[in-house]
Amino acid sequence: MVRQPVKFRSSKHNMDYVLLTVVLFLVGFGLLMIYSVSSYDAGMDHGDSAFFLKNQAQNTVVGFVALFIMIKFPYKTLQRFDVLAIVVSAILIVLVKSPIGITRNGASRWINVGITTFQPAEVAKIGVIIYLSSIIQRLESLGKNVIRTPKGLAIVLVPPVFLAVLVYELTNNLSSAVIILGIAVAMLFVAVPDYKWFFASGAAVLAAVVAIVSYVSNADTSGSTFRLARIAAWLNPEAYSTDQAFQTLQALYAIGSGGIWGKGLGQSMQKRGFLPEAQNDMIFSIICEELGLFGALAIILLFVVLIWSCMIIANKAVDRFGALLVVGVMAHYAIQVILNIAVVTNTIPNTGITLPFISYGGTSTLFLLTEIGIVLNVSKSCR
Amino acid sequence: MAIKNSTGRRNMTVQKRKTFVLCIMSVVLLLLLGVRVGYLMIFCSEHYTALATDLHERERDIKAARGRIIDSTGTVLADNKTVCTISVIHSQIKEPDKVIDMLCRELGLSEEYVRKRVEKYSARERIKSNVDKEIGDKIRNYDMAGVKVDEDYKRYYPYDDLASKVLGFTGGDNQGIIGLEVTYEKYLTGKKGQILTLTDAKGIELDGMGERRKEPEAGKDLYISLDVNIQRYATQLAKQAYETKQAAGVSIIVMNVNNGEILAMVDVPEFHLNEPYTLIDEFQVQREDSQESTQDLLNKMWRNGCINDTYEPGSTFKTITAAAGLESGAVRLEDNFSCPGYIIVDDRKIRCHKVAGHGAEDFTHAVMNSCNPVFIMVGLRIGVERYYEYFTKFGLKQKTGIDLPGEAGTIMHQLDKIGEVELATISFGQSFQITPVRLMTTVAGLINGGKLVTPHFGVKAVNADGTSVDEFVYPTSEGIVSSDTTDKLRYVLEQVVENGGGKNGYVEGFRIGGKTATSQTLPRGSGRYIASFLGFAPADDPKVMALAIIDTPQGMYYGGQIAAPVVRQLFENILPYLEEIDYK
Repeated sequence: MVRQPVKFRSSKHNMDYVLLTVVLFLVGFGLLMIYSVSSYDAGMDHGDSAFFLKNQAQNTVVGFVALFIMIKFPYKTLQRFDVLAIVVSAILIVLVKSPIGITRNGASRWINVGITTFQPAEVAKIGVIIYLSSIIQRLESLGKNVIRTPKGLAIVLVPPVFLAVLVYELTNNLSSAVIILGIAVAMLFVAVPDYKWFFASGAAVLAAVVAIVSYVSNADTSGSTFRLARIAAWLNPEAYSTDQAFQTLQALYAIGSGGIWGKGLGQSMQKRGFLPEAQNDMIFSIICEELGLFGALAIILLFVVLIWSCMIIANKAVDRFGALLVVGVMAHYAIQVILNIAVVTNTIPNTGITLPFISYGGTSTLFLLTEIGIVLNVSKSCR
Repeated sequence: MAIKNSTGRRNMTVQKRKTFVLCIMSVVLLLLLGVRVGYLMIFCSEHYTALATDLHERERDIKAARGRIIDSTGTVLADNKTVCTISVIHSQIKEPDKVIDMLCRELGLSEEYVRKRVEKYSARERIKSNVDKEIGDKIRNYDMAGVKVDEDYKRYYPYDDLASKVLGFTGGDNQGIIGLEVTYEKYLTGKKGQILTLTDAKGIELDGMGERRKEPEAGKDLYISLDVNIQRYATQLAKQAYETKQAAGVSIIVMNVNNGEILAMVDVPEFHLNEPYTLIDEFQVQREDSQESTQDLLNKMWRNGCINDTYEPGSTFKTITAAAGLESGAVRLEDNFSCPGYIIVDDRKIRCHKVAGHGAEDFTHAVMNSCNPVFIMVGLRIGVERYYEYFTKFGLKQKTGIDLPGEAGTIMHQLDKIGEVELATISFGQSFQITPVRLMTTVAGLINGGKLVTPHFGVKAVNADGTSVDEFVYPTSEGIVSSDTTDKLRYVLEQVVENGGGKNGYVEGFRIGGKTATSQTLPRGSGRYIASFLGFAPADDPKVMALAIIDTPQGMYYGGQIAAPVVRQLFENILPYLEEIDYK
């Protein structure tokens, strides 16, 4: 027997099937969990226990169409859309205040495009990724350290901040604004050789957070705004069990009652009306309840593999633009997964962030899969 | 170009390293969150599981069977009957009209009432409780979705009005309302069980998720000293007297002289224990005549005259004066007296019941004749302070401590308010009030050798499987009189029945002691009397004592004429019976 040396990613034109497999698994698992989580309420409220499953399946099909288009679509073409990406995102966000904008639960976050509704904030995330990848590549090609000049800084910083402010101001969506800024910071962190500025600003943010938290924990929060009240609820959820911390506490009940082995698929009690809209942001808590600690850790590990795969692809990309695109996508996934699980476990105050590929939601599924398509496209031309 | 390329290449290397750093930071954060999840799911699991279970489960109580009340012959006097509670679960009802129609028909309720409850959106709506088991079973057999039949227990008294005021009854939650049911509540009442059902957030029970049951623990059976045969016979006699004498009430108490166990306690008219909130005829008439509320009348109906009400005992109390006189040495049985038919105390002339007077008589005959002037003289010889001392020592100022709720206290003059006139009246049983059971208990103590017992019913409480027995112990105090005084009292009281005013209490073949009384009720001159007779047997070694009190008899009202025969008839029957069962 002659031992054949195992060759991994030896072909230049082979896309990353590990990533695709992980994504397919996550999407499939997401559909299963959406059915498990939502069927009870859906059966009662919509008369069809598969109501949410059917919607999400449609979204997924659309998402995979976009994914396969992006696999075929040469990513380098995206480089031309830098300014366009920002302008389109901004226009779409502004449209939530127009007659086609839709307000649900007191927040204008959707626009109606006829056949379906749509969240512009999700477009802004991918818009920022395309813009920064393209613009950093172009600035670097102008010469060394151009990005560190005031003009260069303005070019890379102003558009993402503008989009983030727009998202926060017009759609009152702090979490999406934070994600947009986070993606931008992560991409700049990768693109610029410095560490100190990032750690300095990181430390400053941390100090501000500590200051706010200590203020809230000592202050009387009865008359304060809803964001401050959320922080107070985060510090002591059982004291706010009927209002601000209701959802968080219900999620903790779900996680805690899951135990090591879980109650078994479909056996969650919390999804039976106790944890409202569990198929959305809080789906991870039901995963914990039904599949236990092992199920939860398996999902976390799948996301680790996903992020790791992105890192491998980014570092094997043939050009900076491709690498930066993948880094942006990686940052997007990482930020959402980390923030979502942190919220569900009450590690940070409650803010609405979906769990990529698993939470229910049309627009986010579509763009998450589109981004995967871009990453796979980049992976095809990897060294 | 070359410079640019080298810069670009260098930047690529930096970028790769920083991408790696970014990735590692993300992975570390994710793994830390994994640790956080692990912490929540392992170390906080118990805490959150408990909170969640509390949230998910709805409890329904399962009533515990109340302990039975069993008499000394082993007859069950208070039992439990299985009854059903019918309720509907809105979300499970499939054919509301059929359900409404069926419930109206079976339960005899108005359609409006049932419809309102069936159509109300609630987790569980009770339609009717205390439904007979047969009807409940019938409803269950319709097998209609959303209709629930739960079984629970309702108190049931097999003898209905027998010893109604002693046993008492229970309320809606099976808790004692009056009588022994109240006193022994903590033994009789069991521990409620629970059915814990998983429900969703709206309180809708989940099918197929199972339920947890915490089994109820039945209450302990209460064994009492009451003897159903004696009670029934005493009740029969009391009812007879009640009817023939058209009395306001007739009470009979039968007690073991030596340990205070009560064998029978009757207070006619009795009410129906199975329908305690229904006024019996006597009170129904009053309700129509007077302004009194139904609740007031119910309270009156439930009153046990033997313990809840006081009266002037009259001549039966002469036993106590005799005991105090003999014990203190103020009088001897052979002391001679003369009764002119009256006696003057201070400036008051107090008459004897025999207007012509009893003439010359010794103390024994004075007792036999129930001669008021002699007893007044004895009382005066004892003196206020000493008399009051004996009154206290004989326990007359205290409640007996009988195990029934609501025992009335003695109404007595204060020591410094007792002058000679008061003492004179006390000596023959007037101007103060005690309960019948108080009189009986004290006299029992005087004739049993000086042991003041606590009258009682409760003997022991035994749990359902007999593994736990609570025996009740009652306080007694010895030596209230000397045995010499006891012997003399037994002798004179036997003389009263053999040859004196109590001869209607004589039972052939038995030695009976006793004392009659005829007391005028307040206000004096109203023509209303209370006739009573206190008898015990055997006279030389008393075991059992009976007191019969006829309140406001029509026509003949002398205790010796109408109350003594009641006790005689009672003894005629129960003394052979007690000998037969070898009563201690």
